[in-house]
Amino acid sequence: MTGSGRVPTGGARPRSMIVPLAVVGALVVLGVIGWVTTPEFITYRNFLNIIRAAALIGIIAVTMTLITIAGSFFSLSVSQTAAMSAIGFAAFMSWGWPVWSAVLAVILLASVVGVLQGGAVALGGNPIVVTLAVGAVLFGLAAWLTDNKTVRTGTYAAEWIGTSRPLGIPTQTWAFVLIALLTAVMLTRTRFGREVTLVGANRWAAATVGIRPGRIAVYVFWVSALGAALAGIFTAAQFSQGRLDHFDGADIDAIAAILVGGAAIQGGEGSALRTAVGAVFIAGLQNLMVLRGFSYGVRVFFVGLAILVSVSAYTLLRNRRRLA
Amino acid sequence: MTGVRRLAARVEPMVWTRLALFIGVFLFFAVLNRRFASPNNIFTIFEGFAWLGLAALAVGVTIIAGELDLSVGSTAAVSGIIAVSIVDDIGLVPAVLIATLAGLLFGAVQGYLVHRLKIHSLVLTLGALIALRGLAFMISGENTVAMENLDIAFVVRRQLGIFSPFSLVTIAVFALVGLFLVYTRYGREIFAAGGGRSEAAAAGVPLVRPLVLAFALSGSIAALAGAMTSIKSGSAGPAAFEQLLLPAATAALIGGVSLLGGKGSAAGIAVGALTLRSISSGLSLEGAPFYVLTLATGVVLIVVVVLELLVERPEIRAGLRRWRDRRRMRTGVQTG
Repeated sequence: MTGSGRVPTGGARPRSMIVPLAVVGALVVLGVIGWVTTPEFITYRNFLNIIRAAALIGIIAVTMTLITIAGSFFSLSVSQTAAMSAIGFAAFMSWGWPVWSAVLAVILLASVVGVLQGGAVALGGNPIVVTLAVGAVLFGLAAWLTDNKTVRTGTYAAEWIGTSRPLGIPTQTWAFVLIALLTAVMLTRTRFGREVTLVGANRWAAATVGIRPGRIAVYVFWVSALGAALAGIFTAAQFSQGRLDHFDGADIDAIAAILVGGAAIQGGEGSALRTAVGAVFIAGLQNLMVLRGFSYGVRVFFVGLAILVSVSAYTLLRNRRRLA
Repeated sequence: MTGVRRLAARVEPMVWTRLALFIGVFLFFAVLNRRFASPNNIFTIFEGFAWLGLAALAVGVTIIAGELDLSVGSTAAVSGIIAVSIVDDIGLVPAVLIATLAGLLFGAVQGYLVHRLKIHSLVLTLGALIALRGLAFMISGENTVAMENLDIAFVVRRQLGIFSPFSLVTIAVFALVGLFLVYTRYGREIFAAGGGRSEAAAAGVPLVRPLVLAFALSGSIAALAGAMTSIKSGSAGPAAFEQLLLPAATAALIGGVSLLGGKGSAAGIAVGALTLRSISSGLSLEGAPFYVLTLATGVVLIVVVVLELLVERPEIRAGLRRWRDRRRMRTGVQTG
C-alpha cells in the first residue's frame, strides 16, 4: 500500500516502515473512535461523503506532494491557481467554446503558471516566497480581469463533469482515487519519480549522477499546477460558475494533508498514497466533529492540533531512527 | 560622535540603497499626485506602517534566525480578540500588555519546539497557524468582538502631526528591537543562528536561546500589531489578518532581510514597510481597488526575489553562464 517502501534514495540505510504505519494507524484510531462514539460515522454512505469531501483538496495535495518530495517545500499559490482555472473555465464556456477546448485552454494556462514558478525555484528562488508572490499576482490579475465578479458559464454543457456519478460515485472521487494511484505509480515505478525522490534526498548527489535538479523543480511545480487546474475545472463545472474565493485556504488544507501524510519537509521522503490518506484523515476528522455538533472554531483548532501532534510524532520517530 | 559614525557604518551597506528606493517611490507618487505628500496622507502612510511594520519585523526576525514564522496572522487575530475583550475592564495599557504576553508565550513555545524536536519551522508554524485560527474563532464565539468604550480607540489613533500614538509605539519597538539585535549578545546570537547554524553551534552558541528568542519576539510583535490594530478599530474579528503574511514578508524582503538567514536589520525592515505602504497609498489615491494593491505587492515581491537572486547569489549568474556554455557545447557536438 505505502508505495514508497522500495524507492531507492540517496542514503544506504534501509527504509523504515514506522512513519507509514503511523499514518495508517492514525486513520484506524480515528475510525475506531468514530465507530464507538458515533453510529452514523461508519456507514458506506458517510464513507462516500468523507472521500468526496476530501477529493478536491486531495487532488491538489497529492500533486503538490511531488514538490515536497523534491525538496521544494510547498506551493502557496495552488488556491489562486485553482480559482484562476475555475474562472478561466467558466469564461471560456461562456464564450461558447466546446468543453474540450475550454479544458485544454485551462490546462495550458495552468502549465504556464506552474512552469514559471518551477523555473524561478530552479534558479534558486525560495519556493515559499516565489509561490506567495505568484499567488498574489494571480489573485490580483484574476480580480482585475473579472472586475472581482462571479463568472457564469451560461451553459450546462460542462455540468456533467462536476455532478455526474458513474456507479453511484461522484466524478471528483473517481478523479481523486485515480490521480492518487497514478501519482503513486509515477513516484515509485518510473525513472522520473525516482529522480524526484533523489533530488529531494540529496541534491548534490543527484546532480553528480546527471540529474538536473532545476529541471525536476520545473516538472514538479508543473504537476502541482495541473492538479490545481483540475480542481478548478471540477468546481466551475459543478456550479456553472467561477469565483475568486472558491478555493480560499485550499493551499493550507492541502499542505495539512501532506504533513499528516508524513512527507518529510526536507524532501526525499513521502508518498502520494499517504498524502491521500492524510486528506481523508482530515476530512474524516472534520466529518466526525460535524456529526458530534462541534462548532467551527473547535473543528479548526483540532485540525491544527492533529497536524502539530502528527508532525511532531513523525519528526521524533525519524530522528530516533537516524540516531539508532 | 564616533558612536554615531559606527552606527552609520553598521547600517550603511544594508539600508542606504533601500532608503534610496523608498525616496524614489515616494517622489514618484508625490509628483504623480499632489495630495500624496500632504501631511494628512503622510499620516495615513504611517498609520499603515504602524501595523505592517510590526508584522514585517515579526516575520523578519525569524527569517534572520534562518527560520520562517507562518503563524503571524493567526497570532495577531487571537491577540486582537483578547485585547478587545478585556480593554473595557482593565484599560488600554494592561490589555495590550496581556495580549502581547499571550503572543510571546505562543512564540516562545514554538521556538522551543523547533529547537527541541528539530522540527522544521515551516511545518510547526503551519500547524500553529491553523490551531491559533481555530482558537480565535473559539474565544470570540465565532463573532466579531466589539469594545464599548470607543474613547480608548480614539486614544490609539489620535493624530499628532503625521504620527499617532500607534505609529509612535511602532517606531519605539523598531528602535528597541534594532538596538537589541545589534548591540546585545542575545541579539547577535539570532544572526549567528541564521547565518551558519553549524558554525554557530561549533563556536559554542547554544541554539535554544536564539530560536526561542526569535520566535518569542515574532509572536509578541505580531500580537502587539494585532492588539493595537484591533483596539484602534474598536473591534476584532476571528477571521482577521488572514492575508498578513504576504505584505509582511514582502516588506521584510524589500528591507534587505536575506532568505538565506543571518542578514537583515530593523532599520531596513522599517524602510521596507514604509516603501510598501507608500506604494499602497499612492495606488489608493489613484483610485485602485484592493486587488490591484495585492497585485502590486506580488509584483514587488517577485522583483525583490529576482534582484536578490542576481545580486546575492553569484552562483546563479555562474549557473546561467554554465547553462549557456553547455548549450553551446552540445550544439557544437551536433554540428561537428
